[in-house]
Parts: sequence; C-alpha cells; structure tokens
Amino acid sequence: MNTSWIRLLPLLPALLIVGCANVQLGATGATPATVERLRSAQLAPAQAGEFRLAPGKDAAMDTTLPGLRGNTLSPAKGSWSQLLKDTLVVELTAAGLYDPASSLVIAGQLVDSRVDAAIGTGAGRLAARFTVAKQGRVVYDKELAVDARWESSFMGAVAIPEAMNQYGALYKALVAKLVDDPDFRRAMAR
Amino acid sequence: MVRVVRALRWLVLAVALTSLGGCAAFYVDGHAPEVPAAQYKKPASPPEVQLVWEFQTKGVSNARATEWLKTRVQEQFSSSGLFSKVSDAPVPGGALLTATVNNIPLDNDAAAKGFVAGLTFGLAGTTVGDGYECTIRYSPAQTGASPLVKNGKHVLYTSIGTGGPPAGAQKMAGIEEAVTTMMRQLLSRTLNDLSQDPAFP
Repeated sequence: MNTSWIRLLPLLPALLIVGCANVQLGATGATPATVERLRSAQLAPAQAGEFRLAPGKDAAMDTTLPGLRGNTLSPAKGSWSQLLKDTLVVELTAAGLYDPASSLVIAGQLVDSRVDAAIGTGAGRLAARFTVAKQGRVVYDKELAVDARWESSFMGAVAIPEAMNQYGALYKALVAKLVDDPDFRRAMAR
Repeated sequence: MVRVVRALRWLVLAVALTSLGGCAAFYVDGHAPEVPAAQYKKPASPPEVQLVWEFQTKGVSNARATEWLKTRVQEQFSSSGLFSKVSDAPVPGGALLTATVNNIPLDNDAAAKGFVAGLTFGLAGTTVGDGYECTIRYSPAQTGASPLVKNGKHVLYTSIGTGGPPAGAQKMAGIEEAVTTMMRQLLSRTLNDLSQDPAFP
C-alpha cells in the first residue's frame, strides 16, 4: 500500500484553508557547507557591488515569479537580483569574508529565474552572470546556473510551499556553485 | 490518462485526510533516547564557537524549518556546557560548529532497515517513517586542524486509523512535540559523541 499520503497529515490545517498565497522571500541564514568551503578556500575578504537584471531581459523577471498555480512569491526587497546579493552577503559574512571597504568587488546580473509547480514534476532554474573586480579590473566573469527538479503534488497546499522552498534554495545553491568554481577561487585568492 | 488517474487518487486522499486527520498519531522512535547534558564529557576550557545551523528536506535547504527550529537548537548547544559561548557571527579564534539535520522519507522496509541501530521496521500499512540524519562538524580555532565530524540518526512515525508504530516507540501529543522531542534527542546524542572524542575541543 502506498502510504506516502500520511505524511500530509501535519499539513491538514493548510489543506482546510487552501487559497491563493502571497509570500515574500528574503535571505535566510548561512549554509553550513558553504561557510565551511569559504573558510577553507583561503579567500580574501570582498564586498558585494551592483546586482541587477541582465541587459535585454524582461524587467518582470526580476520582480515576479510565474508558475505557482496563481500563487505569488515576491522578493522581500523588491528584486530577485537583490535577493541573490543578500544571499551572497550572508554567506560571506558568516565566513568572516565580507568587508564593505574591500577592493575586491563581486557583482551579478540575473540571467534566468523561474519555477514550475506542475502536477507530477516541479522544476526551477536560477542563473546569473557574476563578475569580480580587483581594484577596478575585472578578474572573473562567468555565467553560472542551477536547476532543480522534484516530485510535485496534485494538491496545491502541498505543491506550492514545496515549490517556493525549492526556488528559495536555488539562491543558496547558486552561491555555493560560485564558491566552488576554481576560477572564482583564483580571482578571490588572498 | 495516467495523470487523470493520479489526480483523482490525490483528490480522494485529500478528502480522506480532511475527514480522518483527527485520527493521526505521532511517535518518536524508542531506540535513541536523549543523553542528558550532565553525561557529556565537559572540556576544561570550553571553546567559544560560531554556530551555523540548517534543516534540510531530502538534501534541500528548508528555510522555514531552519528558522522555526533555530532558537531551540541554539539553546541546546548553549546549555550543553561544551562551549563558553555560542554565536551566529564569527568568533575570535575562528572556531566553527555546523549542524545539519536532513529529513529523509523512509518509504519502504529496504530504506528503513538499518537506518537506526536496533530498529525493527515492521510497520502496519497506514504508518510511515521519516528518517532524520544529523551531522555536526566542529572546526577548532587552531589553523589547519582537521574538523571533528559526528553523525546521528532518528526516526519519527506517523500513523492513522489502526496503523501501529514499531515496538518501543513513544507516542507524542502532536506533531510539534514529536519534532522537537526528536530533534532534542538526536542533537543530544550527536553532541555527546562530540564531547567524548579525545580530540575535542
């Protein structure tokens, strides 16, 4: 017998008040694995520069997020590119590597941001072009992307929070991918 | 056609959940009781540490659960007697403690067997198990010192109707008590392992 539905019992209150949710997403706490990698990588402290939407992209991509069955997930500080910046700052700060006066400046352009809470399989993608400038000279310039796929329920009360969480986790995953990039590490080396 | 059948099945289950939810019962596995902080091996000079904590669901960061449990986790580490101070921010000397708990559904006997030592997984058809894997990594202040890594596991059961939990499982008043009890027991056992390591702190 398939008993996976029993796991939904803790969500019963949510099932009874199903409606259109409007949730704001902001940067959360630091990530253990990312902080450990940052600390062990012998990087120089850096600051976060300008994070914005990449040129040529639809402006709505930076402020809205379709694909949640009519529900709304919006960036707490007005733009997804700002959330990416905040996520990076949280990780750098927790690793003791954030210095707003540093001559190393990390900047970013949001290239892709989407989620699909479809019945069956959910999907999400986040991509950005990162640059690192050292005393004004660009020493790193690369586009990075992360994707996620997950089992997505028929019931919105289950599928929507899951999709929102999966999308939010992409920000941590993208920053982790940046931290793991050997070229980024070389550019940020002490 | 398959999608339609699946959709109908979920609809039926949703109705069943709505009408049967009051019959749900939550249990914490009985094979991993809490280790009281008094039993930890206390260091002569407890270190000051930075704590970075995360709850995951199937390996994916779960921001809401992380935030919901954060205060309890910090309090348990702070009151353990193993550390002089537990902070969110980097600390002088740079000692770092990371704690991760990952929730893994135990969907079948194969996945459940051996998850917790002594666990005899023989669940009735209307009971499911959720596994929780804890990893604590302590990186001491000394530059270049290897981190100490300790792992622990625990299981929560949810049953409905006549479904029964495994022998020895402790019945909880509700889901919140079940989760917080499981977390406290799991962290206490992993912290105890850390305290007993001769290399700590």
